Amino acid sequence: MTVVDTRGPRETRAADGASRRPRRGAMRRSAARLGWGFASPALLLVFAVMIFPIGFSIAMSFSNVNVTGSGFQLNGFTGNNYSILFHSARYIHDLEFTAIYTVVTVTVEMILGTLIALVLERLTHARAWLMALLLLPWALITVVSAQLWSYIYNGVYGVFDAIMNAVGVHNLNVLGTPTQAAVAMGVADVWKTTPFVAIMVLAGLVMLPGEVVEAARIDGANGWQTFWKVRLPLLRPALAVAVMFRILQAFGLFDLPYVLTGGGPGTSTESLALLGYKVLFNDVLFGPGAAIAASTAFIVLVVCLLFLKVFRTQVGEQED
Amino acid sequence: MRILSNKRRNAATAVTAAAVLALSTACSSSSGSTAAPAATGSASGTITWFANQFGPTSTDVRKTLIAAFEKAYPNIKVNLEQAPSDSDTYRSTLITQISGGSSSFDVYNGDVVWPAQFGKQGLALPLNSYFDSSYWNTFSNGLVTSLTYKGSTYAVPLFTDNAFLFYRKDLLAKAHLPVPTTWEQLQSEAETLQKDNLVKYGFAAQFDSYEGLTCDFTEFAADAGGSTVSSDGTKATIDSPADTKALTYMRGLITSGVSPSAITTFQEQQSESLFTAGQVAFLRNWTYAYADSNGSTSKVAGDVGVVNLPSFAGQSSPGYSVTGGWNLYVNPHSKYLAADVDFLKWMTGTEAQTIIAEQGGEIPTVASVLQNSAVQATNPAFPVAAKNKLNARPSFVAQYSQVSEAIYNNVNAALSGSTSPSAALSAASSQIDTALQSNGL
Repeated sequence: MTVVDTRGPRETRAADGASRRPRRGAMRRSAARLGWGFASPALLLVFAVMIFPIGFSIAMSFSNVNVTGSGFQLNGFTGNNYSILFHSARYIHDLEFTAIYTVVTVTVEMILGTLIALVLERLTHARAWLMALLLLPWALITVVSAQLWSYIYNGVYGVFDAIMNAVGVHNLNVLGTPTQAAVAMGVADVWKTTPFVAIMVLAGLVMLPGEVVEAARIDGANGWQTFWKVRLPLLRPALAVAVMFRILQAFGLFDLPYVLTGGGPGTSTESLALLGYKVLFNDVLFGPGAAIAASTAFIVLVVCLLFLKVFRTQVGEQED
Repeated sequence: MRILSNKRRNAATAVTAAAVLALSTACSSSSGSTAAPAATGSASGTITWFANQFGPTSTDVRKTLIAAFEKAYPNIKVNLEQAPSDSDTYRSTLITQISGGSSSFDVYNGDVVWPAQFGKQGLALPLNSYFDSSYWNTFSNGLVTSLTYKGSTYAVPLFTDNAFLFYRKDLLAKAHLPVPTTWEQLQSEAETLQKDNLVKYGFAAQFDSYEGLTCDFTEFAADAGGSTVSSDGTKATIDSPADTKALTYMRGLITSGVSPSAITTFQEQQSESLFTAGQVAFLRNWTYAYADSNGSTSKVAGDVGVVNLPSFAGQSSPGYSVTGGWNLYVNPHSKYLAADVDFLKWMTGTEAQTIIAEQGGEIPTVASVLQNSAVQATNPAFPVAAKNKLNARPSFVAQYSQVSEAIYNNVNAALSGSTSPSAALSAASSQIDTALQSNGL
C-alpha cells in the first residue's frame, strides 16, 4: 500500500509527449536509469525489510513448517494451513470480532474526529494549544496507555469501579464480562485515535476553497446545508485517507487486547493479530500462524481496495 | 490516489514471486548436528546465562550464585543476560533466537512446562549423555520425569515451586474458626468472616485467562478426583463429573460473593496485592507469597499463616498442589558445552541449592537440601512443601500450550458467567482432542 503513483498531470503529459519526440525520450530513459541507480539502495532496503518477510510468511503459510534448533524447514506445498483456519471456530470468531470492532471504532472515531475538527477550525487563539493537548493520547505508546486504562478498569481498585459504586452500580467486572470488555477496549481505542482523525480532517478543512463556501452562503444556504452539501463532499479525500489509515490499524489490533484483556474473558476479545501471535509463538505452529497473518493482510487489502474503488466512483459521479 | 500504476504493480508481483521461490528453496537446506559429549571438570571459557530474575526483588540471587560458581570454577566466567519476566514473551524470544541459530547465550532458564515442546522442536539440548544416573537420583520425586520427553531429558531442575493456602491467623482467631481442610469448609468460614464484617472478601486466586488458571483448575479438578488429559496423552478427560464439580465450585465462589467478581481478571500479582492490603481472608498462591505478605509493604505482616491447600470433603487430605518452577536448559548452538555442563552440575549441587533456598526463598530441587532442617527453618513454607501432594499439569504432551489454552480459555469463560461449567468443559474437551491430534487450532 505504500507505493503510490505520484506522477502529477504535467509529468504524465511529458511522458506522453516523449513517444512523439524520440530524442527527448532517450534523455529521459538515461535519466530514468540514473534514477533507478540512485534509488536502488533504498529499494534493496525495502526488499529486505518488507517484501522478503512478507514473501517468507506467504511461503510459510502454504507449506508444512518444521521448527528445528537449526532453523525453519518449509516442506512441500499445501493448503492445509488455511483449511485448518476455516474449520476453526476460534478463527471465525476472532475474524468476526476484529471486523465488528473495526467497523464500530472507525465509525465512532470518524464522527467524533470530524466534530472535533469542525470545532478546532472555528478557534483562533487556543487552536495550537488544544491540538497539542489532543495529540497527547495519540503520541502515547499504546502499551503504556493500555496499561493506564487497565488501572482505570481494574475491578478492585479501579477509578471506573469506584465511580460506578458511587452511583450505585456494584460488582461491575468490566474486563471480566465479554461485551463490557469489548466496549471498554473500544473506548480506549477511540480515546487514543480520535485525535489522529481530527488532525487529518482539520487539515482537509483548512485546505477547502473559501470561495465555494462563500458562494453557497450568498446563494442562501444555511450553515447545515453548507456543511452537508458543500463542505462535506469536498472533504471526501481527507476523510478517505483517515478511514484507510484507521481500517489498516484497527484490523491489525494487537497491543490493546494483549495488555488490557489478554483476549479474555475466554477468547471473546481476541483479535486476529493476537490469535496469530499466540499460535506462532506459544503453540509454535508456524504454518497456521503464518496463514493467519497472511489471511489478515489479504482481507484488509481487499477491504481497502474496495473502499477506494467505491470512493472513487462516487467522486467520479460528483464530477460528471 | 491510484494505488499502483500498472507497470509498478507488475514489477512488485514479479519481485514477490521471486522472493517466495528463493525462500522456499533456501530455507529447506539446514539440518542440525550436535557436538560430541565433552568431559567435565577441566572446562574453561566464558558462558552466557540467559535468565529472568527469581527470588526476592531486594537482592539478585543470580549474581550471588554466579559469584559463588566463579569461585569454585575459576576458569569459567559467567555473563548474566536479563531475560523477559513474562513467561510467554520470554518463550517467543527463545524460540525466535534459537531457531534462528543464535549462540548469544549458552544456558537459559525455562519454565517447567516447556521440556516436551522444546524437546520436540529441537530448541534444547538432550542432556542424558552428560550426566550419570546417580546425578538424576539426587532430585525430589517426580521432578526428572517432568524434564523428559520421549526418553530424552532436556533440562535440569533449578528450583521448584508449590502452591499453598495463605490465611489470616488474626481473623480466624477473632472468629474462633479452625484452619480449613476442605474447600467446602473454606467457603463457609469465608462467608462467616464476611458476614461478621471482619474482611471484605473470602478467597483470592488466579482466575484470569492465562497459564495460572490452568494451574488453579488442575488443582481443583484433582481434588475432586478429575484430570484434564489421559495419562498416555492421547485424549481429553476434562469433560467429567469430577471436573464439572470442581468448576461449579469455583464459579460458586464468585456468585456467593466469597471471591470478588474481578477475580476472573486476577493473576498472581492482583490476588496477592488484595491479600497484602488486608482485603481477603484466604489466598492460593506460590511460595514467594509468604515472604511478600510478611514483608514491610504488607498491611498483614505477622498475621499470615501457611498450610497445604484444602481438598474437597470426602477426598483424602491435603489437596493437590501443581508443580511450578524453573529449569536450566542448554542452547543446542552453544560452543562451550563442557563449561555449560559444569555450570548445570554446580547449580543443582548442594551449595547452589542452599543459596537458592535460603537467599532466594525458592524450594530447592535437591531432596537432601529440602530435607535439611537448617534450610527448613529459614522458611515456614518449606516444611509445608515437604508434605505437599504434588500433581503435574499435562505438560508431558508436546502440544501442552494448546491444551493449556483450551483449559484456561473455557474455564475463564465459565467463571465469568458467559457459559455454563458443563458447556465450557465439553468445549475444552473437544479443543484438547483437536490439539492432541495436531489437526487444528
